[in-house]
Amino acid sequence: MNPFTKTYTDLDCAIDEVRSLSDDWPPPAQNGTVDDETLHCMCLVLHEWIANLHQHAHFQNNTPRVEIRLTCNAEQVDCSVLDNSNGFDLASYLPTDDEDPEAFPERGMGLRIIEACTDELSYSPTEDGLHRFKFIIPSDHDPWLNTLF
Amino acid sequence: MSFDAETASSETVIIHVGEALDFRNADDFKATFQEHVDEGVRQFILNFSDTEVLDSTGLGSIFSLYRAISPDDGKVAFADVSEPVQVVVQLTRTYKVFRQFPSVEAAREAFAE
Repeated sequence: MNPFTKTYTDLDCAIDEVRSLSDDWPPPAQNGTVDDETLHCMCLVLHEWIANLHQHAHFQNNTPRVEIRLTCNAEQVDCSVLDNSNGFDLASYLPTDDEDPEAFPERGMGLRIIEACTDELSYSPTEDGLHRFKFIIPSDHDPWLNTLF
Repeated sequence: MSFDAETASSETVIIHVGEALDFRNADDFKATFQEHVDEGVRQFILNFSDTEVLDSTGLGSIFSLYRAISPDDGKVAFADVSEPVQVVVQLTRTYKVFRQFPSVEAAREAFAE
């Protein structure tokens, strides 16, 4: 199945385009493909992540740049987002079990949504000084088992 | 971007969410509902029929609306919820707080009861 790879220097444009990926990508099933719900989750995670970079990441004096790579088969969607920000420690921002699950906070739900939707979530520096966000969504992943509350 | 708000009655306002409610227009949404909250409106119907994007910040702005009116027994209903919005509603279990209706008219009828 055709991979998707695209680099953006306009994060607003990146956000707008990833939301249409559930319609535009992947191409019609060849050897089987993931369902619409998985694709909606993928688009939501990418939106939340790039929105997070847009609002909070430090790019020093550089033009923000992200490279999105997606591959898909009948078993799973593999995603990565490479960025040129200073990065941050993802684990320290992920929700903890002792947070009030019924608080319905105005901020901070993006990472909860990302965690609920994905498996094998990571955000780490690369050898060339960039940072890579990676996750997979297996076709049998049930985000409702990981729901937030 | 401003949001289209329709006064359905002295107690109820319908806000057409449009294509997106996300971190880029959440403040506009807040300004839209705040104007009506200040006028005493306590029932809001959010029409999601055309909505392709609802992100965590957009959802947070809806929580703000809920917090503003819930002390006065106010209500927020979701109407004609699109599939991308339904994914967010299910993930966050916000259906526990906001009743969903298949159409704006069904929500209006429920509020009128």
